[in-house]
Amino acid sequence: MYSVPKKFPTTIVGSYPKFSAAQEAIRRRKAGEVSEEEFRELVKPAIREAVEDHLWAGVDIISDGEQAREDMVVYFAERMRGYAVGDWVRIFDNEYFRKPIISSRLEWVAPMTVDHWRFASSISQGRPVKGILTGPYTMMEWSFDLHYKDRRELILDLAKAIRREVEELVRAGAQYIQVDEPALSTRPWREDAELLKEALDIIFRGIGAKRIVHICYGKLEKILPYILDYPVDQFDLEMVNSDFRLLPYLKEYGYNKELAFGAVDVHKLQVESVEEVEAAIDRVMRADVVGPEKAYVKPDCGMKRLPREIAREKMKNMVLAAQRAREKY
Amino acid sequence: MGAWSSVLGGFPRSRHVRKVLRDYERGSVTHGELEAAVAEASALLIGAQLAAGLTYVTDGMVDWHDIFRPFVESWRNVTPTGLLRYFDNNYFYRIPLFTGKPEPKGLVLAPRVRRFAKLAEPAGLKVVLPGPYTFAAMSEVRGLEREELAEAIAKLMGSEVRAAVEAGARAVQIDEPLLSDQEAERDEAVLAAELASKVAKEAGEAKTILAVYFDVPKAEVYEALLEAKVSCLSLDVIDAPERAAKLIASKGLKEGCAALGLINARNVYDDDLGKLEELFLSLTKGYEGEPGVTTSTWLDLLPYEYGIRKARILGLLAQRLGVR
Repeated sequence: MYSVPKKFPTTIVGSYPKFSAAQEAIRRRKAGEVSEEEFRELVKPAIREAVEDHLWAGVDIISDGEQAREDMVVYFAERMRGYAVGDWVRIFDNEYFRKPIISSRLEWVAPMTVDHWRFASSISQGRPVKGILTGPYTMMEWSFDLHYKDRRELILDLAKAIRREVEELVRAGAQYIQVDEPALSTRPWREDAELLKEALDIIFRGIGAKRIVHICYGKLEKILPYILDYPVDQFDLEMVNSDFRLLPYLKEYGYNKELAFGAVDVHKLQVESVEEVEAAIDRVMRADVVGPEKAYVKPDCGMKRLPREIAREKMKNMVLAAQRAREKY
Repeated sequence: MGAWSSVLGGFPRSRHVRKVLRDYERGSVTHGELEAAVAEASALLIGAQLAAGLTYVTDGMVDWHDIFRPFVESWRNVTPTGLLRYFDNNYFYRIPLFTGKPEPKGLVLAPRVRRFAKLAEPAGLKVVLPGPYTFAAMSEVRGLEREELAEAIAKLMGSEVRAAVEAGARAVQIDEPLLSDQEAERDEAVLAAELASKVAKEAGEAKTILAVYFDVPKAEVYEALLEAKVSCLSLDVIDAPERAAKLIASKGLKEGCAALGLINARNVYDDDLGKLEELFLSLTKGYEGEPGVTTSTWLDLLPYEYGIRKARILGLLAQRLGVR
C-alpha cells in the first residue's frame, strides 16, 4: 500500500483534460448508441490515461480525472430520479451544456461513481483515489427548479441522494470523500452557508472516511465564520488566483482543520516553476494557519480546461515543490 | 401609471445559430454565411420582442460570446485569454488582457444599428455595452493603470455610442454588473458613474440607461450611481426583492426614470404577474418619474425557448401595468 507523506501530501481537485476516448464515449451515450454499462467501459481507457498522468507527476492522492463527466452537474442529474433532460445553455463561447431541470422529487437510484472509482483505484499503484461528488448546493444552484420552489426542501433531498452515493463509495473502500461546492462562494450569504451546513450534516454524519469540501473563487471570506464548523475534516480551497487573500481570515477565525490549498493557478496557461510553487507553500506556512502535517498541496481547482501537457507539467512542478517543502519544514 | 419595457440585453442562441457558429469555427462556413445566419436570428428575436409589445428591443447579440468579446476583438492592444466564472453563473467569460491603451480597428454597434433599426420600428432599438468600470475591473491589465484603462474604454465607448445613435439607436444601455457586488465601495461607484456619464453624454437625444444586475447594490453604491448623468438607472429587483425594496424605500428611485428588473431571467418558471404587479406598484408608489420594467439580467443564459418566453412574459407584465 502506498504511504501518503505525513507532510504536504499532494492532491488534485478532480477534473482533468478530457481524453478522446471519454469525449467519444460521452458523444455515443448522448446519441443513444451505447448503454450506461457500455459507456462505463468505453470511458475506462481515458481514466487510465488520467491516472497515468497523475502517477507520472507523482501526485499522492489522485482522482479518475472525472473523465465520464460531461459536466459536474449534468453527470449526476442524468443519473438521479427527478431530473428532466434540460435544454441547451451556454457555458462559455459557443460551448453549451444541457442545464438540468428538476421536475419531480429527487432520489438516488443506483451507484453513479463507484465503478470508475474502483477502476481508478485498481490501477493507481496503491495511491488513494478520491471519491468526488458535486455537492447539493451546487447541484441546486446550477439546475432549473420547476418542482420544489423551496430551496431548503430541495437541497435536503439532494443531500439525501448524495449521502447514498457516499455510503456506496465508502463501502467500496474510498478513504477520501470530496464534495465540490464551487457555487457557494458565488452567493456568499449567511443563510446559504447555513443551508449547506444542514445538507453536509446529512451527507457526512458518521462517515468513516476523510471528509472534504472543495470551494473555490468568489468572496468566501464573507461567509467563513458560518462555514468553519462544517462537519468536514478538510477544506479544499483556491488560493493562488486570489493571491492568498483568505489566509489572514483563516488565521483570524482560528482555523483548525486540514487545509488543502491551491498552489498552482488553473486559469493560467503559464506553468509555474518549482520555485514559484515553493513560494506559494512558504506563504501558507508563514501565515501560520496550519502546520505541514495538516497542509495539502494541490491546484486551485479542477484542471479540465487546461491543455493536457500544461496540466501534467503543473502537477509535476507542484509535486517537486512539495518534496522540497518536506525537507524544509 | 404605466411602464416602458425592454429586455435587459442579449438572447440565447438558437440551435441553428450554434451550429453555424460551430461550422464557422471549423472553417466549413464562410463569414458571409455566418453573418446571414446571425442577421436572420436577430430579425426573428426583434420580431418576438415586437410581438410582445416591448418599448425598446435589442438585436439579441447572439454572436457575442460574452459582453466584452466584440469590443476586445475590434480593438488593438487587447486579446481574449483564459476563462473565468462570470458572477454567480455557471458560465465563463474570457478575461480580456490589455497590454496598452485600446485603439479601435472598427465600430461594433453602429453597423448593427444600421442593419436593424428600421426593422425594430415602431419600437426603439437599444444598444448595450459593458460599462468602462466593469470592463476594466474584469480584465487583466499590463503596462497601464486600471483607472487609465477605464478612462480609455469610456472614450472608445463614447465614440461607439455617438455612432450608434447617429445610425438610429433610440436607447443606450451601459452595463455595470460589478457594482452589484457587496464588496464594491462608494469610490468605485463614483468612478463608474462618472465614466458612464461620459459615455452617455455622446448619446444625444437617445435614452441612456445605467444597468446594475446579478444582485442589489449596497446603499452607498446605489447613492453614488443615482448621481450618474444618465436618463435612467436600472436595478435587478428580483434577485433579492426584500433588499431591493428596502433600498428603494430608503434612497428612492432615480429622478426622471428608473427601470426595475422584475422578470427572472435566471430561472425557467413562469413569473407570477399578479405578484409582480403588486411589487411594481409598491416600489413605484409616489414616484413621479418614468418607470420601466425589464428582465432581471440578460436572457442569454436560458434555453432558447425560455428566453423568448420570458420576453413575452415581460410584455404581458407591461401590458398589465399599462404601457407608457
